Amino acid sequence: MSDTFQCGDNTALVGYLYDECEPAERTAITAHVTLCAACAAELAALESARLQLASWTPPEADLGFQVVGADVGVHDSGRGPLTSIGAWASGLRPGAFTRSGAWGSQPLPVWAQAAAACLIFAVGLWLGVVRGSTPDASPEVAPAAASRAELAALDHRLSAEMAELRTATAATAAAPQGISEAQMLARMSALLEESERRQQRELALRTAQVARDFDSQRQTDLAQIQRNLGQIEGLTGAEVREQRQILDYLMRVSEQR
Amino acid sequence: MTWTDEDLVARSKGGDLDSFNQLVLRWERPIYAFAYRVIGREEDARDVCQETFLRAFRSLSGFRGQAKFSSWLYQIAMNLCRDWIRRQRRARTVPLAEGVDPAELAAEQGPVESIEDLVSRRELSAVVEEAMALLPEDQRTAIVLKEYHGMTFQEIADLQGCPLSTVKTRLYQGLTVLRRHLERQGRTPRLVPQLVKRI
Repeated sequence: MSDTFQCGDNTALVGYLYDECEPAERTAITAHVTLCAACAAELAALESARLQLASWTPPEADLGFQVVGADVGVHDSGRGPLTSIGAWASGLRPGAFTRSGAWGSQPLPVWAQAAAACLIFAVGLWLGVVRGSTPDASPEVAPAAASRAELAALDHRLSAEMAELRTATAATAAAPQGISEAQMLARMSALLEESERRQQRELALRTAQVARDFDSQRQTDLAQIQRNLGQIEGLTGAEVREQRQILDYLMRVSEQR
Repeated sequence: MTWTDEDLVARSKGGDLDSFNQLVLRWERPIYAFAYRVIGREEDARDVCQETFLRAFRSLSGFRGQAKFSSWLYQIAMNLCRDWIRRQRRARTVPLAEGVDPAELAAEQGPVESIEDLVSRRELSAVVEEAMALLPEDQRTAIVLKEYHGMTFQEIADLQGCPLSTVKTRLYQGLTVLRRHLERQGRTPRLVPQLVKRI
């Protein structure tokens, strides 16, 4: 730092403005601005801008970040540095870094989310099939009544499997943090495979049931059609007979005249 | 007992999560404020803040204490802000201020400040925010670090990786642009009494 000040040295003025200059330089600038109106005005304007900056306050934010576990994954190192809170939090392992209040204290692991998604899909599929194959409340369709019992059994079985999956999820979430990545992936793959197998079983069962329902409905419809045709034939015969009688009557009357 | 940052860092390195959480609690507001003032978006600033602490936590073992822990945090946050700005391709960084709601302001009125003063301050804050968005990122960051985080020229130079004289130049240029913008917005700078006295 020099102990002299050259008029128009704005960086030196900045040092003076923020009180970060050597005492000698400070003295020199103080002496200069008492004589130089331009430098005095520049300094005053900078100071005024600083004062106005003080009015700028950032909005209040709900922060409260917390580390809830030491296992902050390196698995997101390849991810872009900034993502939305939601995406960010969902990409964390249990016991990672989270923001209290915004999410649960421990977000579900990926494999559990995948298993839950498969389960939801299976239930959705089941509901769709059930709605699609529900007969029109016709008491004549005996096979549908039989399938309701099957559906009740299926419902019971699915409930049991969901409970089992929930237990497995809780058990895995409570597992020690020391589980390796490979073990976790293997477990996830096994769960996914099991879920797929279960879905295939359910799909086969539902398909067979739909085929059965369709066949029985077709037979019922055919019988109904035949009955209706018979009624139509009977009605038509009666009308023909009636018309013949009318014609005979008209012939007789005309002959008498 | 109040632990220093260095104490808490040492304990955090030893696996004490509570100590790291104390550091988070101590620094999350300044880091958030810094990020907000640099990138100008509340939600993204929160993300930057969160990511800053995540990275700090993951890299804690590599922190040797050459710089202050806070400087290290600011360095991480600044890099994240730069990444964010790069991704935005220098698009508009600060949303325009929304209208001032007198009812809201009245509800927030402090015991001393009148509604008129509060409205005026809010308006000025919006104008300043808008003006800051006009600055190049280097100048904006230098001003934010200096004005709101009280860093020395040398600390800013270390953070920005530039000579000390460059920091002064950035501050001067940034303040000059701000001043001109504020003047155009009808915010005529007032002479500062202390400065007038000093001059």
